[in-house]
Amino acid sequence: MNRYIVLLISSLLVLSCSKSEGRLFKSLPSQQTGIDFINEIKETQDLNILDYLYFYNGGGVAIGDVNNDGLPDIFLSANQRSNKLYLNKGDLKFEDISVTAGIEGKSDWNTGAMMIDINHDGFLDIYVNAVVGINGFDGHNELFINNQDNTFTERSADYKLDLDTYSSSTAFMDYDKDGDLDLFILNHAVHTQKSFGNASLRNERNYETGDRLLRNDDGVFTDVSEEAGIFGGINGYGLGVAVSDFNHDGYPDIYVGNDFHEDDYYYLNRGDGTFRESLKEYFGHTSRFSMGNDVADINHDGWPDLISLDMLPEDETVLKSSEGDDNIQTLKMRTERYGYHYQYTRNMLFINQGDHAYMETALLSGVAATDWSWSALIEDFNQDGEQDIFISNGIPKRPNDLDFIRFASSDKIQNKINETKLVDREALDLMPHGKVHNYVFQGTNDLKFINRSGDWIENDTLVSGATAYADLDKDGDLDLVINNLNSEATVLENTTGASGYLNLRFDFSQKNPFGIGTKVYAYHNGKLQYKELYSVRGFQASSEPMLHFGFANAEGIDSLRIVWPDNTCQLLTGLRTNQALLIKPENNKAVDLEQFRREEQPLFELVPDNLGIDFTHIEDRYLDFNRQKLIPYQVSTLGPAFAKGDLSGDGLDDLFFGGSKFESSRVYIQRGAGFEEEIFPEVKADSIKEDVSAVIADLNNDGKNDLFIGSGGADFFGNRPPLLDSYFISSDSSFVKSEIPDQFHNASVVRVNDFDKDGDMDLFIGNHMITNDYGKIPQSYILINDSGELKVSAENVLGEAGMITDAIWSDYDQDGDSDLIVVGEWMAPVFYNNNDGKLELSTVKLNALNGLWNDIIEFDMEGDGDPDYLLANWGTNSKFRASAEQPLKMYYSDFDGNGQTETVVANNYQGKYYPVLGLDELGSQMINLRKKFTSYRDFAGKSLEMIFDKSALESAVVLEVHTLESGYLRNDGGAFSFVPLPSELQVSPIQDFVMYDFDKDGSQEVLAGGNFFGVTPYHGRFDSFPGALIKNDGSIVSGNRLGLDLTQKSVRHLSILEFNEQTYLLVTFNDDKVQVYKINDLK
Amino acid sequence: MKRILACMLLLSALSCQNDEPIVIGSDDFFGSVDKVTEIMVHDIFSPPVASRIYVYPNIAAYEILAVNSDDYNSLNGQIESLPRIPAADDPDVNLRLAAVIAHMDVSRRLIFSEEMMESYRDEKYKTWKDQNSKEFEASKAYGLLIADKIAEWFDGDFYKETRTMPKFTVNTDEVYRWQPTPPAYMDGIEPAWNKIRPMVLDSAAQFMPVTHPEFSMEPGTKFHEELMEVYEVSNKITEKGDDSEEIEIAQFWDCNPYVSVTRGHLMFATKKITPGAHWIGISKIACDTSNSDFEDTVFAMTKTSIAIFDGFISCWDEKYRSNLVRPETLINNYIDDQWEPILQTPPFPEYPSGHSVVSGAASIVLTSIFGENFSFDDDTEQPYGLPIRSFPSFKAAAMEAAISRLYGGIHYKAAIDNGVDQGFKIGELVASSLKMKN
Repeated sequence: MNRYIVLLISSLLVLSCSKSEGRLFKSLPSQQTGIDFINEIKETQDLNILDYLYFYNGGGVAIGDVNNDGLPDIFLSANQRSNKLYLNKGDLKFEDISVTAGIEGKSDWNTGAMMIDINHDGFLDIYVNAVVGINGFDGHNELFINNQDNTFTERSADYKLDLDTYSSSTAFMDYDKDGDLDLFILNHAVHTQKSFGNASLRNERNYETGDRLLRNDDGVFTDVSEEAGIFGGINGYGLGVAVSDFNHDGYPDIYVGNDFHEDDYYYLNRGDGTFRESLKEYFGHTSRFSMGNDVADINHDGWPDLISLDMLPEDETVLKSSEGDDNIQTLKMRTERYGYHYQYTRNMLFINQGDHAYMETALLSGVAATDWSWSALIEDFNQDGEQDIFISNGIPKRPNDLDFIRFASSDKIQNKINETKLVDREALDLMPHGKVHNYVFQGTNDLKFINRSGDWIENDTLVSGATAYADLDKDGDLDLVINNLNSEATVLENTTGASGYLNLRFDFSQKNPFGIGTKVYAYHNGKLQYKELYSVRGFQASSEPMLHFGFANAEGIDSLRIVWPDNTCQLLTGLRTNQALLIKPENNKAVDLEQFRREEQPLFELVPDNLGIDFTHIEDRYLDFNRQKLIPYQVSTLGPAFAKGDLSGDGLDDLFFGGSKFESSRVYIQRGAGFEEEIFPEVKADSIKEDVSAVIADLNNDGKNDLFIGSGGADFFGNRPPLLDSYFISSDSSFVKSEIPDQFHNASVVRVNDFDKDGDMDLFIGNHMITNDYGKIPQSYILINDSGELKVSAENVLGEAGMITDAIWSDYDQDGDSDLIVVGEWMAPVFYNNNDGKLELSTVKLNALNGLWNDIIEFDMEGDGDPDYLLANWGTNSKFRASAEQPLKMYYSDFDGNGQTETVVANNYQGKYYPVLGLDELGSQMINLRKKFTSYRDFAGKSLEMIFDKSALESAVVLEVHTLESGYLRNDGGAFSFVPLPSELQVSPIQDFVMYDFDKDGSQEVLAGGNFFGVTPYHGRFDSFPGALIKNDGSIVSGNRLGLDLTQKSVRHLSILEFNEQTYLLVTFNDDKVQVYKINDLK
Repeated sequence: MKRILACMLLLSALSCQNDEPIVIGSDDFFGSVDKVTEIMVHDIFSPPVASRIYVYPNIAAYEILAVNSDDYNSLNGQIESLPRIPAADDPDVNLRLAAVIAHMDVSRRLIFSEEMMESYRDEKYKTWKDQNSKEFEASKAYGLLIADKIAEWFDGDFYKETRTMPKFTVNTDEVYRWQPTPPAYMDGIEPAWNKIRPMVLDSAAQFMPVTHPEFSMEPGTKFHEELMEVYEVSNKITEKGDDSEEIEIAQFWDCNPYVSVTRGHLMFATKKITPGAHWIGISKIACDTSNSDFEDTVFAMTKTSIAIFDGFISCWDEKYRSNLVRPETLINNYIDDQWEPILQTPPFPEYPSGHSVVSGAASIVLTSIFGENFSFDDDTEQPYGLPIRSFPSFKAAAMEAAISRLYGGIHYKAAIDNGVDQGFKIGELVASSLKMKN
């Protein structure tokens, strides 16, 4: 709790600071700085965004001290004009020496720029990329060697670096650890063919578009791309490149962001001169139109995290008039048939999990939508010890405007364009501009960022691209230089000053004088900050080669541990802050890198043979979105049903797994050597149904367990027999079907309890939804056990209790009997008090607590002896937004009066409600909208009230969600209040909890599992929650660090198994094979 | 001076006291039809939906003429569901004018971009009103009344319900089943079009074609031979180059409203007319060439559009029944992953060819009206940058339209042969069972 108060206070402080002190960044006019560089590009009939897809990508920035006077100088490249070099004269004044310096360049289309001391003479040289070979562009990449007298000589050919390809950026690193720096050159593809083809296209090298790894062989660079395993295909739309030792094995790895349908590449350095591309293994999904990216540790765990930019607009009007994600079937086809990975149109923030799959949190972190974004730089701009993010942004014309696309679609227009080019002007004018302001985010703890655009920086109307940082005025903080299209470059002076900074420059070796690849672990007040020096960052840019830390006004810090590129280590202690240090290797010792990778012995260990449990759940192909086109998410993938209990009468637990539609269920009996499948013909034959929930219990009091299965699946409808639940009675050595009342429902949960204390088990049957009528509340009910005969209870009528997903019997009021608590979607938890064997709605008050609840478990979170309740929700890493004041709303009605109901889900944005879906989707169901809005422009930015008639909205049933956070109900003497769990547990919908004393410390912990794939590509894919252990002191341990392998899988059940006096964890997934983990005794 | 001029103008306008009779010719009808075509290209309707947008306005216009004339018979009683519409009781009604007004108004209800139709209409209204407001108002009242009746009727054709029916679910596990095709990989369109109420057919399945050769990737099987034929014909044509007759034919009959192009940053659809629109264009040319009067023009175009409408229902019924994979998918997966068809594969299952069915049906009806050897110059595709082609007969045009799909690399031969056959049967049924002109 304290943490939140601190957060609140600190954010208040920041607010008040910014009011009194003005902006954090001050934009300096060119009259003051002398930097009058403009990257002016000219649209012509032959060269514009219609002809060259990367016409607006802009030039580059490189910052470094070229004359060794201690002041960082600025190089700016222009696409079509001369490059410029500005000498830093101190006091934020610069001198343009471009003409005498000889760096103006000869290529027709310059792109990225970087500074590197390529001949290790102690002076920085400049390398500029060029696009050559399309649109009549001539030239080659240029290498300007520093003559040590403020002049340069172009000598790219001597180094074999005069590439004439479609290059956009160059990164450098010592990938083979031979002491010198090698180059990675990013080339971009152009649309060369109509179909995107198979992903394997990336294996065939293409001269112009294939990325290059160039090995430094004593000053001459050799193309080793192919032998090193670097893809070079015609599909590599490379726009972003980041270098970091992502997995802490001592060798630099490379992340490449590719635009369009090509996957991003995650090259892990094997250390033998080759790379292993491992994207699918480590990333559940990536950004789709990947642009720039950056790497930094944002959560103080010493592992580098990654942001990859895309182009999702924040503004409603732009959002609804721009082309966004694929439709779900296209995406399925591209992933399942063509071999591409899951990609979605938004920024992605990947949290490194220590050489396990990354956790992706951009939506939760608040950095997913920054419109047409180019460069990201993660640095501590306000020096408070938390990393902030600067994102440059803007495009002169939006070619993905839907109305423009429609206009350009006319065959007549196409012919005119192709034959005469006359329409180009008209076409260009039709594209709206995208001069969106740059974004800056303040980092906080708990993975969250606060949008400070318009506060820390002024909201501009520039088209900003490549961005680099440096301490230009030597006051310790980081200033920014931005290359803009058709306007003067921006110089942003950081006004933070000496508030506890530490700037580290390195003097490492003759061949790597700046110490590229050096890692620094800074420890202060028990908090770790980790940085790694790679100066090529963001987009087409390189920043001043130094590491910058902020320590929130601390005067000194505890220690710095430096790991040099040669994997030697040195420790510095007792350092003052507010200084710039030049550090040389001294008393450095070889270090065992394992100490940075080491993990405790994992609590969980996969059992290779699964103890014989080879059940694989196969979800059927039914796609809810094809039938109910506006349904907010799939409701047909709740399975499989799972139950544990003794079915064979030997006192040992056996297992039941339900099948999806047309798949048989499976029963596994526990034997001495393991679990073995046993076939009970009547149970097996009941395969048409989709089994969603099951219980094993002695329902007829004959001393033998019976089996009750709740069926659903959201596909069968009306009074179709497969919607009936099943009741199998144990008889001799088999199970026979027994009668139960005809109740045609999509069941979601079955829970047994003798709540009326008459000596037999009664059942709660919770139902989820009504097929083809999502939004209508189904009936749930109690089956009363009358001497083994199950009857719908007339005394305990639950009626339309909600869209139920889970329930527990629990004595919440501690009066000695079992009460019932049910949870579900678009509802708050409902408590039924057991009043002498009769269930009554309880008087427990929960304020504004509607959620998309999936699961509930009793757990004493507070350790105070009374029951608290952990609640699994949708999580906040979502396009849905909900709060008590501004709930997520779902309107349920037959809007167009055609006899078929629809649901329209709406988010609150700046005080108004907007449908989550766009015109195409809404119009596919409600055809009248296509008549009402004949252009996307008409529709975009319209609130719900402007889209639908007042009467239609008023007659609709409105369902609400007040919170999407998973959390717990804190029991304060019978009164309950909701406490959200930390961000790590809000990454995906949580699907199940299991309680056990995992670490054998004598008190219970709860393990949470989750993820969910049943959403449209607009929502992405909830695939990156690794599971987490919630200890009763409130601390959280990520599943990745416990030995669990739960990412990219969708958990349905977590269960504890006892087998041969050893305890195991059984994990059941939707559409995947079950996992069995041995629980190690770590005591 | 200005003021005097204004007065004079006003006077002259008043004195004209618009009482000249309004003369309506075929061109006025064509004008409305062309406008509908233009709006459909703008709004991008799929071929089946386009056929529906053509047929109802035509019927509205035709019924106005027929119920008030002894020369033409109402379709009421011939098309089972069509209600009887009232005859005009106001002597001032100009039937041709009422027919054009009804055509515009029914069209307006069927397309999306109503304002495009409205601005065209308002201009026309103004001209007519200036000519003779009494005649205009009477005709308008009657025309709109009939438009209302026709709208009530088409509202029951199950179109509305099919909008909310399930989308087509792609099953990529079975190789013989249809899958979305490059470059746009669009969902299969109108999977429930067989639910639309037909006009003359007794059911969507009345002329179910014989089944296509059984799917097999074994060399020597009929299916495999036909697949290889698509591949080889296409390669041969490509070798011959862009000026070959086959490419000209393929492009001329393309009529795919979904063609996607990549240009600069993006991929988008180019808009073209639909096959139905092409045959509406041909019937227009036939009326023009034969100097048909207004009534005969409306009659010919109505009957043709009915054949096209039923043709699509029949064709789509089989498409989603057989659910056959397109040659492009198979060739890319098994034979040549670089192969691209000359035409872009449209987004629905292969069998039978929609062009073949619809062209077959339309050509029979046109032949029944204008005769066997009616030669004509087809300039329908001129606005879309394609040349004029000449044909000795409607059937010859239909046969060329059909075979163009093989040249284009988007259909197997069976889909063409059996499709034309299916179309002929539909055309014959429409031609013989609808007794429209006495």
